[in-house]
Amino acid sequence: MKKFIALMLLVCMLVCGFLTACNNNDGSNNPDDSGSQGSKTTHSIPTGDVTVTFYHTMGKNLSDVLVKYIAEFNKVYPNITIDQQTIGGYDDVRDQVITELQAGKQPALAYCYPDHVATYLRSKKVVDLNEYINDETVGLTQAQIDDFIAGYYAEGQQFGDTSKMYSLPFSKSTEVMYYNKTFFDNNGLKVPDHWFSTGATDDTSVEYVIKKIKEIEPTSIPLGYDSEANWFITMTEQLKTPYTQAVDKVQDRFLFNNEQNIEFCEKFRGWCQNGLMTTQAIYGGYTSGLFTNTTANEEGKVIHSYISIGSSAGATYQCPAKSDNGSYPFEVGIATIPQADASNKKVISQGPSITMLKQKDQTVNDAAWIFLKFLLTSPEFQAEFSMASGYVPVLKSAFELDAYKEFLSGANMTKDGIAALSAKICMEQESAYFTSPAFIGSSDARDEVGKLLVAYISAASTATQDELKQLFVDAYNRCVTLNQ
Amino acid sequence: MAEFNNAVKEVNVESVKASQRTSKIIRYTITYLFLGIMAIIVIFPFYWMIISSFKTMDEYRANVPTLWPQNFVFENFVTAFSKANLMDLFAHTMFVGVVSTVLSLIVTVFSAFAFARLQFKGRNLMFGLLMATMMVPGELYTITNYLTVSGRLPFVSEPVEAFDITNTFAVLIFPMLVSVFYIYLLRQTFMQIPNELYLAAKVDGTSDFKYLWKVMLPLSVSTIITITILKMMGAWNAYIWPRLVANDAAHQLITNGLRGASFTDEFGETNYPAQMAAVTIVSIPLFLVFVFLRKYIMRGVSRSGIKG
Amino acid sequence: MSKEKAVKKKKLRAVSDNIDVKNQFKGWLYLSPALILLIIFSFYPLLNTFRMAFLNGYNGLAIVGGEKFTIGIENFKTVINYVDFKLCLKNTLLLCVITVPISTTLALLIAVALNSIKPLQKFLQTVFFLPYVTNSIAIGMVFNAMFTRVGLGDLIQTQGIINNIIGIFGIEPINFVNVGSSWGANMFVVCTYIIWNAIPFKILVLLGGLQNVNKQYYEAAKIDGTSKIRTFFRITIPLVSPMLAYVIITSFIGGFKEYSSIVGIFGDGMGPGGNGQMNTLVGYVYNMLPKSNSGNASAASLILFGIILIVTAINGYVSKKKVHY
Repeated sequence: MKKFIALMLLVCMLVCGFLTACNNNDGSNNPDDSGSQGSKTTHSIPTGDVTVTFYHTMGKNLSDVLVKYIAEFNKVYPNITIDQQTIGGYDDVRDQVITELQAGKQPALAYCYPDHVATYLRSKKVVDLNEYINDETVGLTQAQIDDFIAGYYAEGQQFGDTSKMYSLPFSKSTEVMYYNKTFFDNNGLKVPDHWFSTGATDDTSVEYVIKKIKEIEPTSIPLGYDSEANWFITMTEQLKTPYTQAVDKVQDRFLFNNEQNIEFCEKFRGWCQNGLMTTQAIYGGYTSGLFTNTTANEEGKVIHSYISIGSSAGATYQCPAKSDNGSYPFEVGIATIPQADASNKKVISQGPSITMLKQKDQTVNDAAWIFLKFLLTSPEFQAEFSMASGYVPVLKSAFELDAYKEFLSGANMTKDGIAALSAKICMEQESAYFTSPAFIGSSDARDEVGKLLVAYISAASTATQDELKQLFVDAYNRCVTLNQ
Repeated sequence: MAEFNNAVKEVNVESVKASQRTSKIIRYTITYLFLGIMAIIVIFPFYWMIISSFKTMDEYRANVPTLWPQNFVFENFVTAFSKANLMDLFAHTMFVGVVSTVLSLIVTVFSAFAFARLQFKGRNLMFGLLMATMMVPGELYTITNYLTVSGRLPFVSEPVEAFDITNTFAVLIFPMLVSVFYIYLLRQTFMQIPNELYLAAKVDGTSDFKYLWKVMLPLSVSTIITITILKMMGAWNAYIWPRLVANDAAHQLITNGLRGASFTDEFGETNYPAQMAAVTIVSIPLFLVFVFLRKYIMRGVSRSGIKG
Repeated sequence: MSKEKAVKKKKLRAVSDNIDVKNQFKGWLYLSPALILLIIFSFYPLLNTFRMAFLNGYNGLAIVGGEKFTIGIENFKTVINYVDFKLCLKNTLLLCVITVPISTTLALLIAVALNSIKPLQKFLQTVFFLPYVTNSIAIGMVFNAMFTRVGLGDLIQTQGIINNIIGIFGIEPINFVNVGSSWGANMFVVCTYIIWNAIPFKILVLLGGLQNVNKQYYEAAKIDGTSKIRTFFRITIPLVSPMLAYVIITSFIGGFKEYSSIVGIFGDGMGPGGNGQMNTLVGYVYNMLPKSNSGNASAASLILFGIILIVTAINGYVSKKKVHY
């Protein structure tokens, strides 16, 4: 035991020496390499050999498309080598970039979500893309900027200072509503377009339709919603109730604990408790699996949902498997998601963007920009990538291409055509896209509201009003104490 | 009377023998039953891994998990293989695995010997310090070690290019070479060997090194093999570190090569069946290594039996 | 241990001391290859963990961005103020206390049973090794399939294998891991998982130890007519006690760092519906790392470090008394 104490003392002494000797001395902190590149410096096309590293999460079939366009790119710029690497999932890319940033070995380009960029920003190594976009020689023309779908383009400006652009959209998805068209047609049901009933005869509300379905088919769970976090955030947008804001003070960033939000949770709680709806976490399995289910349970019943709200990119999972005689058990319809207020339509926008990180050698950044510009202003690439991925293009002109039009015309409810069908619906919702403000801790808020919604609507029927409200308080406290 | 007594004795011997036999049968039945049940429980995840790799994504996502794939698909293996240059990956992994196992064994044997047999000041303190390094979650080491191998040294404000050893085989081998777990394990084995043997050898004038080589190692073969297996598997399964420090084509290992290629599907969702296929491919050589090495465990045991 | 033996041991120790006093440096020489690597790749990072823990709000990315930090104990305050800190601590401690004895006992029984049989021994050895080459995600998937209940209210799609089995005995289905499940039920599943996961390695080590045991001891016991159970407690356990000490100490250390098994069952949310009720201290550390918040992560690690240090010291003290070399 004495040895241990001696050991601890030794360690403490070493640490003290260490602390005083090299406090804040890690890494090279040239204070002026952060943000000193004023927007006046001009950028040019590199002439020497340059290698640009690009981290992404693409599977094999998508990276094939990328490789094809890199080959195209190299015909024009043979001196720029693109080292593209699949890193794993989005979180893996984030973790790797964070670690590499600390050693100054970050890639020039990386797939990103807004939360990631908000974290990277602290290193002051994220390139303000406006420097390039507004550049006279290598910049984008107004027509090229306008070609981006506005809602997607704006995502790169949501980091507090709207004059700075920290990411460009790469490919996007949103949420759509899948419904069992066969069942709806057979029972004369209308496809709902808003959540809450305005009266007893309001037959296009979700509230009305799911009650009706439950009457027709008591062993069904009429509605399944895939992502609880998306649902909560989308409701706050549709109802214009506070969720989060990007401010300095941690306590003021998280605004979701308010009466209006409790109110809609209370509504959904009623639906859930009456067996009218479920979510992935509450159901304990994929809600797409519930929607397409044809397997009887242990009591011999087949439990279904008839409406399923999920990612537009996951359309093939919402299509049932062919039965033995080669026909589909039911036809899938796809519609825009229900709204709370017809004058304030909102639907979440997801999918990767690309961020650029400062390199030691500025020509690498210049080369990275040339590549980024080539990729993101090419409607052909956007169209081809989207057709392979199930995401939708971020350029309006991609939709005008014959190849993409042909793809959309093949839209039907088979496994092959359903992706096109969901892409079509995405375009219809285009004006309603929103993204939430991104800041350090915004991903905590997202996680917490998802869990909160689950806990709230699934809480035992004996839970008191105070206990339910406490769930909101707890979620808020967690967000704050995780970010102090 | 004497005769009668003898007869009773004989009967007793007989019945004792019989009851011994039945108790032996019962004991064996219980032993096998116990091992059988435990074996089934323990093997189930392995079975699951194999069958999952043959499932389609749709079947994997189904609400009722199936114990046997409805239709076998080999597509996942194709997916797992398609992008990776498998021969290169195997070659790199074998190289790193073998070199780091051999070096690790040498280092482990020497340190375990020092801790188990040699007397020197600060031995226990050193051992305590070693144990302490096990007590911090490894991820905190990862970041600091990454900075170190990138040439970011303490007390130096600028990165030192000469110390940047990322994208080399050395960076895959050396940082993970010493395992306190193995040193500790081998020390425990060494300490079982009676100290008298060592002292006798000393009196005979045998050098420490010779004693270690001729006496201690042969007596600890099964622990050495256990360590070999563990180290090989560690090298084979390492993922985060290789991906971080040497993800270029010339140094990619099986894990980061395969996983990077096939873990996510086009929607950014984890493709579990393909992942399972990749893991199955990675596991097979390991499994073979174990089946192969098991003979040596046996041999080592029998040898130590003769000596002891 | 008899007095006579102890005296003998003391004498020998004296002799050996005499031999080695001259060769002080030899120990360090043998240790040096490991030591050099450890200093660079283990001691230095450990030291760095201390440093980061005592710099208020230390953030690796902020350092790159040129921010400065002051020395203090703010990080520790933040960790302790985290609303779920007590819960994390409780879960961490309980997981250790429950799983280590059970898994060690089971592994010892299996190892002894394996060692005592002839037919099928090789085959079963291989079988018990298999989980070691099984991916942890596969194990997570199995547990999910076994314990999960898919459904809403009375509409149940599947109850999972375990509930079906206990249903045969007339027991009502239990909600083990899904939304609304109790902390106790979760704890049960996580412990089962950890035990399951830990057994193969322990069997490997203990079997290695058993096979190194001199067969003569058993033969002597047999001749003396010592009962099997007595042999087990008087011969087997003392002879494998160094291996036992090893697996117990390392699995305590591993148990305190438990994280991946909980993620395997519940996902990143560390609880049913992501409610975090099974979160552990290392879970908190992992939560901090994606934000590059190494200061808080280091502080939490050091708190854990302190706890493990105490437990290991106690372990070491006990094993010094009980382990037979």
